[in-house]
Amino acid sequence: MSISEDGALHRDHPPTVFFDGASSRRRIVRLVFADTLEISETDAASVCWVYDDIREADSPPGMLRVSCLSAPVLARLEVRDTALAAELRSRCARLGENRIDGRAIAKIVGWSLAAVVSIVMVVLFAIPFAADRLAPLVPEALEKRLGDASDVQIKAIFGSGVCTNAAGQAAYAKLLNELRRTAGLDTAVQSAVVSTKVPNAFALPGGKVYLFSALLEKARNPDEIAGVLAHELGHLKHRDNMRGLIYNGGTSFLIGLLFGDVTGSGALIFASRSLVTASHSREAEENADSFAIEVMHKLGRSPKPMGELLFRVTGKEGDSSLTLMASHPLTEDRLKRMSAEDRPPSGPPLLTDKEWAALKAICDEPAKK
Amino acid sequence: MNQMNWVPLHREPPQPPPSSVSFTGNRGDFIRLVMRGAALELVTAGFYRFWLATDIRRHLWSNTLIDGDTAEYTGRGKELLIGFLFAMAILVPIYLAYFLVSVEAERFKGFASFPLILAFYAFGQFAIYRARRYRLTRTVWRGVRFWMDGSGWAYAWRAVLWGFLVILTLGFALPWREAALERYKMRHSWYGDLQGSFEGRGLEFFKRAWWLWLAVPFAIVLFPLFPFVYAQFKAIEWRWWLSGIRFAAVRVESKLPRAALIGLYWKVIGWYALACIAVGIYFAVCAGIVAALHGGFQQGAQPELLKNIPMLVLMIIGYLGLILSLNVVLRVYLLRDVWVAVLESVQVHDIGAAANVTAKGELATALGEGFADGLDVAGF
Repeated sequence: MSISEDGALHRDHPPTVFFDGASSRRRIVRLVFADTLEISETDAASVCWVYDDIREADSPPGMLRVSCLSAPVLARLEVRDTALAAELRSRCARLGENRIDGRAIAKIVGWSLAAVVSIVMVVLFAIPFAADRLAPLVPEALEKRLGDASDVQIKAIFGSGVCTNAAGQAAYAKLLNELRRTAGLDTAVQSAVVSTKVPNAFALPGGKVYLFSALLEKARNPDEIAGVLAHELGHLKHRDNMRGLIYNGGTSFLIGLLFGDVTGSGALIFASRSLVTASHSREAEENADSFAIEVMHKLGRSPKPMGELLFRVTGKEGDSSLTLMASHPLTEDRLKRMSAEDRPPSGPPLLTDKEWAALKAICDEPAKK
Repeated sequence: MNQMNWVPLHREPPQPPPSSVSFTGNRGDFIRLVMRGAALELVTAGFYRFWLATDIRRHLWSNTLIDGDTAEYTGRGKELLIGFLFAMAILVPIYLAYFLVSVEAERFKGFASFPLILAFYAFGQFAIYRARRYRLTRTVWRGVRFWMDGSGWAYAWRAVLWGFLVILTLGFALPWREAALERYKMRHSWYGDLQGSFEGRGLEFFKRAWWLWLAVPFAIVLFPLFPFVYAQFKAIEWRWWLSGIRFAAVRVESKLPRAALIGLYWKVIGWYALACIAVGIYFAVCAGIVAALHGGFQQGAQPELLKNIPMLVLMIIGYLGLILSLNVVLRVYLLRDVWVAVLESVQVHDIGAAANVTAKGELATALGEGFADGLDVAGF
């Protein structure tokens, strides 16, 4: 049954080469198709391979390379003769079982899609849930440390431009303490006005609130500033920094698992990450706004001036940005909401005219450490 | 393969001529492989990358003909996936610890956490070493595998210390760094019971490439020069690296011309430019069609167009098409074509020493590849 029983035939056909997996010696062999595949080398005992154990290995075009499950792992038989290769193929029913065929690829695609769905579900539902539940469990000491670390960075970025005009500071402290007491926060809250040209205000974990002087300059009455500060105190009260940290860390990690090294996919990852974190942050901002409205009502003041201040700073936003990507609700929507909550003042003004003038002038002295 | 080639080789003439190395793969097959792979990567949100990397290596290895016998890559995509998952399980607590330590450091002094980046650099070098070990143990030739011993951490610290020296000397020490690291890697590389070694000298590399070092500042200013500088540097590096490789008495030599890779880099740039122009035209046409369907926008309608959902969908499709084509171009030219150009420059001397090597060495896990993927580092 062997094709190359005759030595003369050998010369017309490319040789069959066998490597036994124990040494790199190249053995020219003859194949005999008996009950098993007999691989025989001149002057050596023949090796027998069971047909059902034979599997195809990678090979260059024009060669059939096979291995055998019951032989050493790296034993290889290389058949270069087309007729002989066809004969071997016809006898080994399970030759192609190792190959990655359409079904195997469908399986990979299926599992990958399942993984994507699971990641999306975790990002949309599990991580916000975990962030809400875990944030209150973070020890205050750790949160304070986080705040201190970013505080050091902020001081490095903005210099030490903390405004220190004494009368201004007194007015600022009065306003803040009033708000803090109404908001139900303890004296751990620290706050300062920082001299910069960016109109903004923000809260750091562990109870630090910064008001930027440019926002103060644009304000026309104490209620505007009070609303902004109440909003930032809302972030502190809700521990939004910790929630945001857990949420952003978790989603960044999970989304980073996708598209690992696909060149050019950076924009895709960035866009999807911005999309989900923006929606989370919008929700936190809305809650902080609700908190600010509540505090202002308790003080008997209207929240509407805060909306007006924001509108003065940003203008109408709906035309210029993609609403899905925005980290804050649109200013016009915030203004509308706060206008709806507008009530005639029932409490005393938060600052006297003189105190308000002093607060406006808090940065007039040259900044000192 | 003609049988007549074998007979004289097998009788081992007293002074065997150096054997050449060649590549038998079909370029069209490879292009189809990477096109399909890029499409599957998109469909699977990148998870197919493990199988695509495996398929590419299988194609390249099994078509690499050394002294009449082709190599084989026995790694599998599933191993890479498992390695990646294990690496992630280890990296997550490390990232958390890193975060906490950096908070403490920042509290102490602004931006004091910077040195921690160094630890990640070392970890990346460790990953490169372990990933190389994985690939080498999956490389089989004549039924015997290559393998590696040595320690990934010992390698990582060498890489870090040499890296410092390179920074301090503004890149001047780079050739010596590469020589030292290659010596470590090759000393711990084996083919069966044949031990590898590296004979390339840093000075040799320096002599061939020093003028490129001087050209870099000019190339940064006159950036169209940069591909020329980089392609020549890579060609010199390849030639020097290959010519230093030894496995016991087996010597590798490369005669890769300095200009061999310049064309390939310019082709990549050309295709990138074409792809970007094509996508630009596609965006313009889409914008035109969408605007026409909406009965035209007023002047300065860009923001409105950006908020238009069908337009966004069309833009995403265009962007995905761009990513797909860039990945194909990159793999065809900078992986396959570079591989072929480099292989064809190689001659192997005294290959007879590898004719009867005893198999040895254990398989390594794909954990290193997983770390390399998780840390976004690549190395050879």
